[in-house]
Amino acid sequence: MSALRIHGIVLSGVGGQGVLSLAQIVLEALRRSGFHALQSEIHGMSQRGGSVQAQVCFAEVPLTSPILDEGSADLLIALEPLEALRHVAMLRPDGHLVASEEPSADMAGYPPLEDIYRALKAVRGACLLDTEDLARRLRHPQAGGMALLGMASRHLPVPEAVWQAVITERFAAKGERVITKNLEAFAAGQGLVPARAEA
Amino acid sequence: MAQSTLALGVEAVGCAGFDAGIKGAFGYPGTPSTEGFECVEALIHAAADGRVAQWAANEKVAYDLALGVSFAGFRTLVTMKHVGLNVALDAYANSALTGVHGGLVLLVADDPGMHSSQNEQDSRSLASFAWLPCLEPSTVQECYDFTLRAFDLSEALQVPVMVRLVTRLAHCRAPLDRREALAPTGLGPVPAAQAQDWVLIPSNARRRYEDLLAKQPRLLAALADLNRSVPGPSRRGVALAGMGRAYFHQLALEHPELRDLPRLELAAQPVDPDLEAAFLATVDEVLVFEEDYPLVETRLGLRARVKVHGRMDGALPRVGELSPRLLKAALGLAPSMGTPAELDLPVRAPRFCDGCGHVDAFEALQEALGNLGATAQARVFGDIGCYTLAAQEPLSALHAVVEMGASISMAVGAALAGLHPAVAVIGDSTFGHSGLPALLTAMDAGADVTILILDNRVVGMTGQQPSQALDQVERMVLGMGIPEASLQVLTPLPRHHEANVKAVAAALQQPGPSVLVFRRECIQSLRRGVLREHDRNEKAERASACCTLEVQP
Ligand SMILES: Cc1ncc(C[n+]2csc(CCOP(=O)(O)OP(=O)(O)O)c2C)c(N)n1
Ligand code: SF4
Repeated sequence: MSALRIHGIVLSGVGGQGVLSLAQIVLEALRRSGFHALQSEIHGMSQRGGSVQAQVCFAEVPLTSPILDEGSADLLIALEPLEALRHVAMLRPDGHLVASEEPSADMAGYPPLEDIYRALKAVRGACLLDTEDLARRLRHPQAGGMALLGMASRHLPVPEAVWQAVITERFAAKGERVITKNLEAFAAGQGLVPARAEA
Repeated sequence: MAQSTLALGVEAVGCAGFDAGIKGAFGYPGTPSTEGFECVEALIHAAADGRVAQWAANEKVAYDLALGVSFAGFRTLVTMKHVGLNVALDAYANSALTGVHGGLVLLVADDPGMHSSQNEQDSRSLASFAWLPCLEPSTVQECYDFTLRAFDLSEALQVPVMVRLVTRLAHCRAPLDRREALAPTGLGPVPAAQAQDWVLIPSNARRRYEDLLAKQPRLLAALADLNRSVPGPSRRGVALAGMGRAYFHQLALEHPELRDLPRLELAAQPVDPDLEAAFLATVDEVLVFEEDYPLVETRLGLRARVKVHGRMDGALPRVGELSPRLLKAALGLAPSMGTPAELDLPVRAPRFCDGCGHVDAFEALQEALGNLGATAQARVFGDIGCYTLAAQEPLSALHAVVEMGASISMAVGAALAGLHPAVAVIGDSTFGHSGLPALLTAMDAGADVTILILDNRVVGMTGQQPSQALDQVERMVLGMGIPEASLQVLTPLPRHHEANVKAVAAALQQPGPSVLVFRRECIQSLRRGVLREHDRNEKAERASACCTLEVQP
């Protein structure tokens, strides 16, 4: 009888940013990499711009709890900087954060951006991305999410071929161009984080 | 052919309904049950083999539709959220007496923690209220397996069977292995010999109620294998139901010492009292982990020797959903801690989509009340839907929001008590759900109320399903007896603001019930093209009919 390590990922953002779709890509990629994985999502009324959060847990044995405890996530992927801060307490001390710097500030009481960036940079293992700039450079308005996933992929035990396959299938219905654009954004994100030694 | 896919918990129930060979699926949308119906609807449409998937005007209608399919001799699935079962309770409780013919399974999704609901009532208590069985899965695969089992149980015991999910399971996505799908097989309608069982006049009802009570021991026996007692060396035990089971099992993977605790694992109710007694005999104290009401806890607590801990003695919070963190604390495990951001984080509240017509309607109402100097006296009774967002700032336009359909009846009640102006605001789907009978009474009472029907053509809040009242709202209003002079149809757009303010002011000043229909399609359904095909067909139909018929506005 030995203890088992369960891995956790939190994804967060604002309704409409594609948090749930990203979570599904991660879930499928982990599953195809041989893990037992579960995903949970909380999105009261997400199409109307509230906070959205999804969690993915995975391990080498079947899991039953779709939700993580505070301080137990290995990775936080945030599509919006305030929504990153909202969930940093979910990270383990040795966890990683990849987050967009691009604010969705259309709400009451949004804190000053410099305060948000300062708090984010104080998080150990934080990696921020100017998704607005990247989207412009890649001429792909939705590049941000996929690039963040590329960055996050450096911390996940998923073979490159699996990522390629899952992303390709996810966008298959939208045609060759959309697939290429998304793979390009994913690769751009990967290029920003050094590969893990064991990957 | 058996297949493996990724599915949400509610979708797994929908898949199982399809694979069990249902002839009809019915439901009324409501988070987190909606995707269950949508899943089975997609499967039925793809199969194109004469089965039906039909949204109903409300949950009671949905349940009665299912009961009709069962009467006709086929399997059927009906889906709703927990508060929907209140609406369907008359049908559900009485169907316990008629019993079923074709298997009838009811999916109810509870919402502990009130992620998107106005209460956290526990559907298990309504199942025992009706003397009916309830299965409670804890994983996505169990959602599927238990639903298949529920159909067999329903037919073997001739009772409706509830499958109860909670939000966390309903919206958990995980791998699902499906079995080979059965085709619907009809038993034929209820045979003549049993016809009296379905006619609940008192003489039959008394007999059927006795039959239902007499069935209870058979029910216990049929469910027995779903509940079990697992021994362990400790004198401290745990009783686990629903997500309590799921969370505990995962914690036991990380904390092997938990595997020493004797466990009472419950996946179905009613529970055999002998099983509970035998379990309690092996422990001195027991911690109960169940979602929502302390039902198991209260039952075990009746046996005096054992100390029972849970929501009633503060071992767990009295309200809200369970979580692994709460289980850990109650079990005395060290909490895992993270470091929160050193910054006050404002809540990102949901808000109206940019350009939503509801906002224009509320702005017209508020300005009209202001122009009449009636802002302070007026009370606006709201209802459930996207427009409930108007209760919060900056509009702060609603004084009461209770349950679906309450807006009109509460405004009528308040008006009859002398409150003026009494205004009701209700969406088109909610109007079809339970506003209609309220409007009939408003008319009959001659109450001085102003009713705004916000017709965005869809059920906006639950994901833009087409509204049952689509293109029918004026006719429905006139059909309830509202005179044409008391009905106006307006377009909630900024450029119509002045005209809308005038129209609302006129309605507020007119004695008796008056109705204003604000019609503009929901931005999200427009964007997704939900009604595109419907509107195209409608237009074509009108073009071909216009030579012979005068078109109603
Ligand atoms: C009895 C009951 N059933 C279902 C729900 C879930 N629900 C919340 S609002 C709503 C309908 C909203 O439609 P509508 O009134 O047209 O307003 P809209 O959201 O389109 O503005 C539903 C089905 C509920 N709260 N209560
Ligand atoms: S979903 Fe539709 S009805 Fe709801 S807020 Fe958005 S536009 Fe308005």
